[in-house]
Amino acid sequence: MSAHADSQTFNRIVGIHKPDCEMLMRCDPIPEASIPGEAELVAALGSEQTAEYAMACRRIYEDLRRVIGQLAGLMILARVTRKIEFVELEQVDNCTKRWTDAGARIAALKAHGPVARHKQQIELAHDFCGRILRTFPQLTARTDLDIIFDEIGDHLKQAYACLSRASSHEAGLVMVDFSNACCSCGR
Amino acid sequence: MSDYSIWVCEYSYVKDYHKSGVLYGAHNQGYVKLPYCYVVIKGRDHIAMVDVGYNDKDYGKHLGDKFGVENWRNPKTVLGEIGIRPEEVDTCFITHAHFDHFGNVEDFPNAKFYIQEREIAKWVWAMSLPDRMRWMMVAVDPGDIVRGVDLARDKRLITVDGSLENALPGIDLHAAFDSHTYGSMWVTVRNDGKEQSDDTWVLAGDLVYVFENIAGPGGAVDLDEIYTPVGLAVGSQTNLVMATEEMMKQVKYESKRVIPVHEERIKDVFPSRTTSEGLRITEICLADGETSKVSG
Repeated sequence: MSAHADSQTFNRIVGIHKPDCEMLMRCDPIPEASIPGEAELVAALGSEQTAEYAMACRRIYEDLRRVIGQLAGLMILARVTRKIEFVELEQVDNCTKRWTDAGARIAALKAHGPVARHKQQIELAHDFCGRILRTFPQLTARTDLDIIFDEIGDHLKQAYACLSRASSHEAGLVMVDFSNACCSCGR
Repeated sequence: MSDYSIWVCEYSYVKDYHKSGVLYGAHNQGYVKLPYCYVVIKGRDHIAMVDVGYNDKDYGKHLGDKFGVENWRNPKTVLGEIGIRPEEVDTCFITHAHFDHFGNVEDFPNAKFYIQEREIAKWVWAMSLPDRMRWMMVAVDPGDIVRGVDLARDKRLITVDGSLENALPGIDLHAAFDSHTYGSMWVTVRNDGKEQSDDTWVLAGDLVYVFENIAGPGGAVDLDEIYTPVGLAVGSQTNLVMATEEMMKQVKYESKRVIPVHEERIKDVFPSRTTSEGLRITEICLADGETSKVSG
């Protein structure tokens, strides 16, 4: 077999479609799913000021979403294994750093008029996460783990409830990243 | 002798879902209907579910508006079609933590939930990664994990590490690590209760979305059929193919016995009916003495 034939055979084997496959030719390009940009936000939220706030808020929201998810996962593992060594994990350091960074961003976030209440929910979510993180260093010295786990669980629920109240589909502040996900048809 | 009845219950659907999402490499091949379903297993004094769907109140509107997810119905309505109340469900096997599988634990107040420990641990890890790696945490709702904390407190969450035989009598759990998700698993029902069963059903979760994942077009490699993995994997397609082989081995290569819950055409293979809500109930098998929920 010639080198050319070899290469063709190889291409045929590794590819689902041949380069001249009709299937590849006849479909329209599919638009990608996207997070709303500033112009879309202004249209959806009604004012430039609100849109600007929403843009600035996204990073904080994402930070808190992740911090809550991480803390919840760690608590599940702690509960089912009855082990608290997780507090020494690198993930906890990353979580604390993300929470600290979020705090700095919240402090810099300008929220006037109607969005002030929204910022309040963000601050509360951040605060509840902080209470949990401050508990971790004390865990090794505690014998009443069930009680402290219950407290952490309550704080987590509060944090999640506050962040849920701060969610807004129009502003792109959503709990689940659906891009590339089970339901993502990309339109 | 059959110990268990198995039904696949549709609770919502997406009319037009990218075929490439369900079938690796099927780019530009248009759309397929993607039913959202859970599985009910009834028998031996148990009512179990494989996955629990999602709760529409949290993001149903978003899913509807943005992704065309339609016709969500709550478990009371869906399970009512087969004469079961959500309160009667005692066991839920969660194949993975995506929102459409783990997103409605609240509607099953008396159930214990089984999930792979790795599924939780690796999501925690994924959430700790820098933003540029955010892709690795798609489709997980932190809220579902928060609700998992309550389940763990109430001793209703059981984390499994790898395979578990007889989670319920004749029902086994099998891990497919680093495949569709980090800690995916499938459920095997040995319906004659035998260790070496001749009546095995595999409930594949999202390890198999559609029939082509098991019997994909093999013409390009001069074969009739080949395993073609699902389109979405945070782990590897290799692991998906290896899991498919393992599932097929369990059912002695009778592909009909591997049940893909996102497969619309499952109705063409098993007895099925469409409810007044426009959702499908498919009857995979019936336990001895159980009456059909899809015929007359």
